[in-house]
Amino acid sequence: MSHKQARFPRPVASEHIPLKARDVSFSWADTPLHWLPGDPFTTHTINVLHLLLPAGERWFVHVYKQALPLVRDERLRADVIGFIGQEAMHSQAHDAVLPHLREQGLDPTPYTAQVDWLFEKLLGDRTLPPGRARRWWLLERVALIAAIEHYTAFLGDWVLNAQELDRRGADPTMLDLLRWHGAEEVEHRSVAFDLFLHLDGGYPRRVRTWATAFTALVFLWQRGTRFFLEHDPTLTGTARRATFGDFRRSGRAGTLPTTGAMLRSIPRYLSPSYHPSREGSTAQAVAYLASSPAATAAEARANGAV
Amino acid sequence: MAPPRALPSDTARAALLVTGAALLAGRSRRALRRRVAASTLWPLPTLDEPVSGRPRSRTLRLRVARHERIAEGVVRLRLEGPDLPAWEPGAHLDLVLPSGLVRQYSLCGDPADTSSYTVAIRRIGADAGGRGGSREVHDVLRPGHEVEVRGPRNRFPLTAGAPAYVFVAGGIGITPILPMVRAVEARGGTWRLLYCGRDRASMPFLDELEELGAERVAVVAGDEAGRPDVAGFLSGAAGESTAVYVCGPEGLMDAVAEALPGACTLHLERFAPRAASGGGHAFEVELRRSGRTVAVGPDTTVLAAVRAALPGTAYSCEQGFCGTCQQRVLEGEIEHRDDLLTDAERGGTMLMCVSRARGERIVLDL
Repeated sequence: MSHKQARFPRPVASEHIPLKARDVSFSWADTPLHWLPGDPFTTHTINVLHLLLPAGERWFVHVYKQALPLVRDERLRADVIGFIGQEAMHSQAHDAVLPHLREQGLDPTPYTAQVDWLFEKLLGDRTLPPGRARRWWLLERVALIAAIEHYTAFLGDWVLNAQELDRRGADPTMLDLLRWHGAEEVEHRSVAFDLFLHLDGGYPRRVRTWATAFTALVFLWQRGTRFFLEHDPTLTGTARRATFGDFRRSGRAGTLPTTGAMLRSIPRYLSPSYHPSREGSTAQAVAYLASSPAATAAEARANGAV
Repeated sequence: MAPPRALPSDTARAALLVTGAALLAGRSRRALRRRVAASTLWPLPTLDEPVSGRPRSRTLRLRVARHERIAEGVVRLRLEGPDLPAWEPGAHLDLVLPSGLVRQYSLCGDPADTSSYTVAIRRIGADAGGRGGSREVHDVLRPGHEVEVRGPRNRFPLTAGAPAYVFVAGGIGITPILPMVRAVEARGGTWRLLYCGRDRASMPFLDELEELGAERVAVVAGDEAGRPDVAGFLSGAAGESTAVYVCGPEGLMDAVAEALPGACTLHLERFAPRAASGGGHAFEVELRRSGRTVAVGPDTTVLAAVRAALPGTAYSCEQGFCGTCQQRVLEGEIEHRDDLLTDAERGGTMLMCVSRARGERIVLDL
């Protein structure tokens, strides 16, 4: 009996925190194209976030609005509501970077138009008949989001600890965007998984949606990095080519997650006893948010509105 | 929370999904490199009208080019930057001051100027209830400083096509009114302005208003003439279907609302902080698809009333910035109090958490 219980996801209660959206804004006027000086590969690998997240997180909100009426637990409902607002702000914040890239000669539209199609159409609501099929598709998407959130929390935890980016003089505004976002991902890392458990929680679904999400993320990410490098107006010759070796080197240098850390995160999500609250630190996220220029300005704005 | 349970897995559908993913990802690396090398992304369908990369508003960093005192206690700022978004009379900016305070100020310059924005700001001391924004503008901000702005947004739009316009401005409330007067004058419209203030020295833009039409402007300075005779002015100036625009202190707006001739439409701009959620009159909200009608009290929100009837309604920030509770409006005029929606979106939708009905009733697609 005890053995069986240990295989259930068990949250760490102390990692839970009430969630609220923050009204952040970022001004990109002073951010250079290569915001990590001298490292276009890392810059553009991280820039892929700006390609995927505006559409992706808008889609999270869209799906969660449909899932909300199905939630029968008051605390989870409050979590989902906080989650929705935070994701909406992430989407808006990353979206505002795109015109800045365009003005610097790197037009993201060919890529983002495809990502828009992926999330709005392929993963959209479809014309499924009401009832079982529609519910199945909703649950499938809720599970997909839980799998994706495993990676956003992983990346959030990584960026909060990526001191190498500071040492190499990364643009402070971009770093604040990444860390504000990363900290909120860590803050709400359990919500998507808890919602999945609440509505379904089936292990086969967890595995297959993980496989889909992981494959899609790897596919979209390498494609995005290549796209940026290929179209970067300041790069020529071999600098325009992205290789797996570049990725491993950046990982070893500490400017991207290491390949090993990414591989190790896979069995963790697939473990039947996985729960996101067992990874990352809410305290660290809250500490960053208390000092983040964007988050503190949002706080001042909220208080000023009283 | 319900314990997790394994549903019978839907093998066929799962297989379909995995195959789809594999199809997406399974193309050979070489083929990918070839296509990307040809500098185009290999084919995936695209959305005909892309949504990403078109943010509703961008945070701009503008330089304070001029910082000049134009009346007693009033400073005019000229903020310069390239390719500034267009605006219409009545619009305001969010100004992010160096300290992080955010304040809203009406634009009072020329809407056709895309290289600068102009705002005029009265210093409000702490004893008068000021919260520090205007003092920072007056005492700290200097030419050459940079400020961030968001917007412009327009919560106080000038409607076209009214047969006549009447403007009532109290003190610094002249700022949104001034470009309106210019716009109506430029298109040859009929207008009158009642401009009240403490004393002439503290009232900005008097010279310019005289030039626009001295005979159409009634200036009432408190130290000379006492309280303005709002009712007298309105009965003389406002005729059938006149559009009345008021910006000023609460007392002045109440006086106008009380004395308003029946056939006129009233447009108010409050000095209220952004996204003030409560406060207003009571009204009804019909939820057309649910076939229900709910009442919104003066101190509650549309969202609260709707949630009481439809608990599954999605929302989040409750302050008018995240956009989750955006809802289609089928009938009724909305007093938008958010800072998110574009003017186009305001045509047919609202944020239920902060915005309210202008009239007695609105109809939502819920």
